[in-house]
Amino acid sequence: MIDPVILLQILWTGIAMSSYFVLFTVAFALTLKVEKLWNFAQAGLMGIAFYTMFWTLNAGHWPVWAGIAAAVVVTCAVTVGVEVWAVDVLRRRHSSGLIFFIFTLIFSQFVSFLLTLLFGTEPETIFPSVMSPVRIIAGIAVTDWDLQAVGLTLGLLIALYLLIRFTRDGQFMVAVADNEKLAGIYGISAMRAYLLSGVIAALLIVAGIWLYGTRAGVTPDVPIGLILTAVIATLIGGLGRVFSAALAAVGLALLQSFSILFIASKWQTLLLYCVLFVALLVFPRGIPVWRRRVRTPPVPAPPVAAQAGG
Amino acid sequence: MSDEILRLENVCKRFGGVVVADNISLSLRAGDVLGLIGPNGAGKTTLFNLISGLFQPDAGRIYLEGRLLAGPLHRRARAGIARTWQHMRLFRSMTVMENMLVGPRDYPGESMLRSMAWTGAVRRAEAAARDRAVQVLERMGLAGAADTVVVDLPFGQQKLIGVARALMNDGRCLLLDEPMAGVEGSNYETMQRIVRDEAASGRAVCVVEHNVSFIKDLCTEAVFMSYGRILQRGSVDDLTRSRELTDLYFGTADA
Amino acid sequence: MDYLASTGVLIGIYVILATSYNLIIGYGGLNTIAHPIFFALGAYAAALLAIGTGLPAVLCIAAGVGVAAAASAALAVTTLRISGDYLLIASLGFQLGLLQLVNNLDFTGGPAGLSNIPMTLGGPGRGWWYLLMTVAIAVLVIWLVHRAMAGPFGRAVRAMRDDEVACAALGRGLFTMKVVIFAFGCGAAGLAGGLYAYYFQYISPEQFNVAQSATILTMVVLGGLGTVWGPVIGAFVLVALPQAITFLQLPSSLVGPLQGLIFTTLVIVFLFLRPHGLVGTRMAGAEH
Repeated sequence: MIDPVILLQILWTGIAMSSYFVLFTVAFALTLKVEKLWNFAQAGLMGIAFYTMFWTLNAGHWPVWAGIAAAVVVTCAVTVGVEVWAVDVLRRRHSSGLIFFIFTLIFSQFVSFLLTLLFGTEPETIFPSVMSPVRIIAGIAVTDWDLQAVGLTLGLLIALYLLIRFTRDGQFMVAVADNEKLAGIYGISAMRAYLLSGVIAALLIVAGIWLYGTRAGVTPDVPIGLILTAVIATLIGGLGRVFSAALAAVGLALLQSFSILFIASKWQTLLLYCVLFVALLVFPRGIPVWRRRVRTPPVPAPPVAAQAGG
Repeated sequence: MSDEILRLENVCKRFGGVVVADNISLSLRAGDVLGLIGPNGAGKTTLFNLISGLFQPDAGRIYLEGRLLAGPLHRRARAGIARTWQHMRLFRSMTVMENMLVGPRDYPGESMLRSMAWTGAVRRAEAAARDRAVQVLERMGLAGAADTVVVDLPFGQQKLIGVARALMNDGRCLLLDEPMAGVEGSNYETMQRIVRDEAASGRAVCVVEHNVSFIKDLCTEAVFMSYGRILQRGSVDDLTRSRELTDLYFGTADA
Repeated sequence: MDYLASTGVLIGIYVILATSYNLIIGYGGLNTIAHPIFFALGAYAAALLAIGTGLPAVLCIAAGVGVAAAASAALAVTTLRISGDYLLIASLGFQLGLLQLVNNLDFTGGPAGLSNIPMTLGGPGRGWWYLLMTVAIAVLVIWLVHRAMAGPFGRAVRAMRDDEVACAALGRGLFTMKVVIFAFGCGAAGLAGGLYAYYFQYISPEQFNVAQSATILTMVVLGGLGTVWGPVIGAFVLVALPQAITFLQLPSSLVGPLQGLIFTTLVIVFLFLRPHGLVGTRMAGAEH
């Protein structure tokens, strides 16, 4: 039998490690829900956010808060720029999904090449050391980073929930996600909702890459891998359901963590793709809840409607 | 009956909890032009989808010329079910002639290798299909449009092309889904003539149509559907006179 | 001058890849982006056979084609019933999953790849012989794709792309058509892989990742989906222009990223200035 303490340790570390995974997934799922956009450009945003913090804190010796603020400003600015000057142009042209796919992916690659040119391909971390003070709670090692990661992620998710639930802009965002045209009739600006979802996603990305970059090395190629895991979690969580995507992200992270009990760690990523592939085969049109909303079968009209409408 | 083309026996279909085809039995003979009428969502188009194989029925059987009709769309098309669509579903990037040439039941290019090798059999089949397409287009008065990309044609002519393409299938059952919606003037008369000619040539034709005046112009008989059930079958005049059905449908309809 | 031949071979290989991919995504409308994995399977199968058995190159490359076509059938049978965005993501999962496998297995050389692929066609004119052969094969592939798509089979494939349901309702068996064009296109990618492995004598998993998917996809879309010459021009422009800076004698650490920057910039510029491709197309793919 495996020692329960070891299981608990894996569970806790898995949850802590899932934090940035969750943040990236929520960012991806949110723009997918609101903008109907598979936004692979978010990989580029991750790179921009990371290297802004890396440069301001290491080369510029700025205070930590200033470095984070700089990353927030730069990432949000790029988000808005891409939205206004690129995505919106393609949208008004009624471009196909393939064109959006190419644009967002190529944008991320562009950023990655630019960052390679500026910073090289050596793995970098935000602080020179990734060690974090450890305490032992009930036999489990808990680092400060773990606590910060879980706290920050929970805090941001709660804030997002409150924003969607209780503010007008948050509700407008959901309205646009549900039916952009109808929302337009009620005077809700789709562009405003798109920008809001983009900016929220940018904030989540800054937080996520902060957590990632204070714990592991980042190279310009890392973000593409991170976005792919976010895509997988989004698909498994069910399109259009941001918070279940977050849960799926936690589940996948735990699956990967616990898989070390059975298989070598080098196969963990393969496991992820297997889950994706099988999920798509079992639910070839997406997860059922999503399907019900999109593929409405022909329903006979009730008598009242039949009389009124003919 | 020997000239029975299509027979439905107790066909049922539900989506989730909603019954869209409730124990439907129906028979069509050569020369029939049967109208399907009923309120929106009565299951008229669904019935077409069940016959043509877009959906598989939950229960019941469908026979074409006495043979059990089963399998997916393409098998039923090859068995002889020709159908059109309410929204035409033309191949938008292709010319009228190319649209027509996809239609024959015995398609010369099923195999990529034979198509590439351009064998004698393929050549002859292509030539025959082309002749047939020209004939159909001439009957429609659209022979001049053969090389036009379909989306460049006016709406009424696109509707005709949708029917023309289905006519390339020489099977004996023709299902027309709202062929007249948005069709006016000479195109209207053409459509009417074509449908009558096809019935006269021995096909069984079934038409879904909202416009009751067209049903009157065209159909020998009609069936009234509601909630996935056939409520009544009879002459169009009988149906329009029936009080119950008038209340359900014609009372406020724009017919 | 060998450098010119090398660039030419690379262009030829990408012409084969883009043309065969165009068959699948441009004519067939099947949104998979897994094409590089079939390129990889062809390259790895040929290379491993060459290293392990020393069989003649023609046989090894033929085996690569076979492996790629067989793998494509596996992907086709499992995923071609789904369509649109889901097919795109499923194919991505298939590609990255297999790539992970290649990355972690021992006999494929892992992340370091295979670098001991035997030399064929030695001698001073090697590059030019290869160029001639690659161009000949590329022309053959273009001709075959053109030939297949010009006839009745191609008409049915284009009809399927425009409207699957209407096409099936006219009696065309979609699934068979999909599997056939998939196997043909992916087999051609395997062929390109074999040529690549033998010419450059070095292959590694990272040459076949998502970036490669984006590259081939971009060549086809920017060249012109569903056109004969679009992918050829796309491959030519997007390989040749970034190569041009090699003449500037920059340090090698700069060349890679700079070429990438030129490539991505070209893509973004073309995407916004020539949304219908360099060769005009009135296909449904460019506008929905």
